Amino acid sequence: MMDERIYEQFREVGQDIYDAGMTSSHGGNLSIRIGDRLIIKRRGAQLRRLKMHDLIETGLDKNDSGVALASSELIVHRQIYKQTPALAVCHCHPRAAIALSLSREDIVPVDNEGSYLLKKVPVIWEEFASGSPELARNVATTLESYKIIMLRGHGCFATGQTLDEAFFWASALEEVAQIILYTKIINEPFLEYRKMADSYNKW
Amino acid sequence: MHGWTGKILEINLTTGLVQNYPLDEEMARLFIGGRGLGARLLWDLVGPEVDPLSPENVLIFTVGPLTATGYQTSNRFSVSTKSPLTGTILDANSGGFWGMQFKKAGYDGLIVRGKASSPVWIEIKQDQVTIHDGAQIWGKRVGETTSLLGQSNNKRNVLCIGPAGENLSRIAAIMNDGQRSLARGGPGAVMGSKNLKAIVVEGKQRPEILDEERFKFLLYETRKMLKASPLTSQALPEFGTAVMMNIVNNVGALPTRNYQQSQFEDAEAISGEALTENFLVKNASCWACPIGCTRISKTDKVEGEGPEFETTWAFGASCGVNDLAAIIEANAICNDLGMDTISAGSTIACAMEMSEKGYLDSDLRFGRADLLAPTLEDMGYRRGLGAELTDGSLRLGTKYGHPELSMSVKGLEMPAYDPRGMQGQGLLYATSNRGACHMRGNMLGLEVLGLPKLIDRFQVQGKSTYVILHQNASAAIDSLVVCKFTNLGVGDEYFARVLATVTGLKFSTGDLIRAGERVYTLERMYNVREGFTRSHDSLPPRMLEDAVQEGPSKGWVNKLEPMLKEYYRARNWDENGVPRTAKLESLGLGFLERSLQ
Repeated sequence: MMDERIYEQFREVGQDIYDAGMTSSHGGNLSIRIGDRLIIKRRGAQLRRLKMHDLIETGLDKNDSGVALASSELIVHRQIYKQTPALAVCHCHPRAAIALSLSREDIVPVDNEGSYLLKKVPVIWEEFASGSPELARNVATTLESYKIIMLRGHGCFATGQTLDEAFFWASALEEVAQIILYTKIINEPFLEYRKMADSYNKW
Repeated sequence: MHGWTGKILEINLTTGLVQNYPLDEEMARLFIGGRGLGARLLWDLVGPEVDPLSPENVLIFTVGPLTATGYQTSNRFSVSTKSPLTGTILDANSGGFWGMQFKKAGYDGLIVRGKASSPVWIEIKQDQVTIHDGAQIWGKRVGETTSLLGQSNNKRNVLCIGPAGENLSRIAAIMNDGQRSLARGGPGAVMGSKNLKAIVVEGKQRPEILDEERFKFLLYETRKMLKASPLTSQALPEFGTAVMMNIVNNVGALPTRNYQQSQFEDAEAISGEALTENFLVKNASCWACPIGCTRISKTDKVEGEGPEFETTWAFGASCGVNDLAAIIEANAICNDLGMDTISAGSTIACAMEMSEKGYLDSDLRFGRADLLAPTLEDMGYRRGLGAELTDGSLRLGTKYGHPELSMSVKGLEMPAYDPRGMQGQGLLYATSNRGACHMRGNMLGLEVLGLPKLIDRFQVQGKSTYVILHQNASAAIDSLVVCKFTNLGVGDEYFARVLATVTGLKFSTGDLIRAGERVYTLERMYNVREGFTRSHDSLPPRMLEDAVQEGPSKGWVNKLEPMLKEYYRARNWDENGVPRTAKLESLGLGFLERSLQ
């Protein structure tokens, strides 16, 4: 029997992601790790309307009947937990960040808050943007050194100790991306105010 | 090597032989330094046949690749040995200046073996090592010893034991720089058993850093983050660690009167706020620390460092004492005798309960602030009732037929967080390799402070995973060695980047946490070799059976059993708590199991 408190975390963060406009109605997924098991959103469930039965438990390594119901991104979530210290993963589709990922190798914040929090977010890509072992390894390997990464033209994978923390990184990234877009609209020369700002590229 | 000096110093006090040998580079990569390196060396040097207070036990002092680099809080060092209090593997670490100075003398570690025929002290000046006659300083208290041996913070630093260590108190600390301590588990008794009074160091070499430019950037970013965090830039500097008193009390997790309650009605009187308002002289800080949580406090009788939150709790709420001046004086006495304040306070609290219930014939009663100082003096010199208390609460309780009144795990007294009000903290205490400890991972961040984000402190399912991560991360930080308070402002990914920048080796955040897991698992295997089993991964019966009667944790006991089962599985240990072969092999620790066969 799943602890009500765990369900509440999924329900609240799922709703927050949708309300923030960071996914379509049935897109995005969330998971947490419990030892050699993980709990992940059911495939096709709506993030903003998660019910207890939308949370699927399955093995980190071993398949069981849970894989028939789990999110299509299960393979990526599993690989992240195997390679990194993450205890929670948030995958969503932040629009401004996706737009920037189409033309950049990294997303480097220009705002102060984003620089404090993220320094730099790498953009990675694979031919198949969903569900392949190569993609899973690439995402997980990059997340060994970063809290959050962007998949070019697709969305972000963010990690944390809790779902709330993982969502925080995703939300911070989207704010960073929107500010960069605004600066493009304004299109005026930059007045750099951050000491050692050039070093963020090498974070 | 960059970061590491590449050199281990070994001194045999029985023979007087002093020798150097190179640090094994592969060992350094796998176990980093500090606690990890100490545990790895101890595995080879001290087996289950060795009594902790015999000459065959060793003291291993270690620093890490970040020590003395100037990175924030890179002042700490560690001592590893077999604990005379618990019989487990032990490491304790401390800040101040001594660790930085030892590293600058050119060493990653010092192994002290054997036993001197009469009291001695050691002086290390770069490559010159001298063993001096210690007759003149044996018997002296810590403050006087430190002063006589020429303590000078940035030039010459003194580490020593006090009367408690000399008298083989099993809760004796090793003290450095006067009033900082390697406290828990009785390392001071091991030093006393070797007739070793002090180790004095002077050094000049700054460790080599591979990428100085990137190191400066990381220093800058870390400083920014520490300033941005209200905990590290305001709460700790303004109120010291005792800022936690009201916070922990408010959630009903402040153990009171030997854990009979979980809230103290006079917490405000012994809080960090009260300390600052009434007794603070000034702040102080360890070397290269921008946080500055150290208090210099003054009463009519004493002036000195501290007290820390745990100390204030141990002599305060735990003993039902609301007299902050008496607590400050108790802290000063412990520092001068060289004694662990948590174990000392908790043992007195245990004796108070035993006395109130008629199991022990003494005047000790909850609230008797006037008896703290004389009781501690008797403990340090092993006199009268003090001789009964100076080996910790479990031995005291056991002697009088009431071990259940010892609030300890594996014989080490629990610190200031009630496991009934913080479920994960209970699992953490139960599985801690050196016995109940808040420095082997701490759920305070997740369960109370909301760092990085708040989780439900009463949640049971899934708690093991958080505990494991924090135990592993804590082992990694203790191996670097830096202060865990830095971690309140910056995440583990900063440490990984600094480590890679200093050493030139590849260390992702994942690699760093895996190194921590390796250290934790090695320590576990050490305890398995010593005969520790699942039955030792427990909590005092009071935590498991007696529900909290009042306050925000009312009705709760610690639900250890399901968490422990989940914990073993998550760590890939068997049902008896022994790491499985596959886990050992995956961490590069297969040799441990093979050496036991």
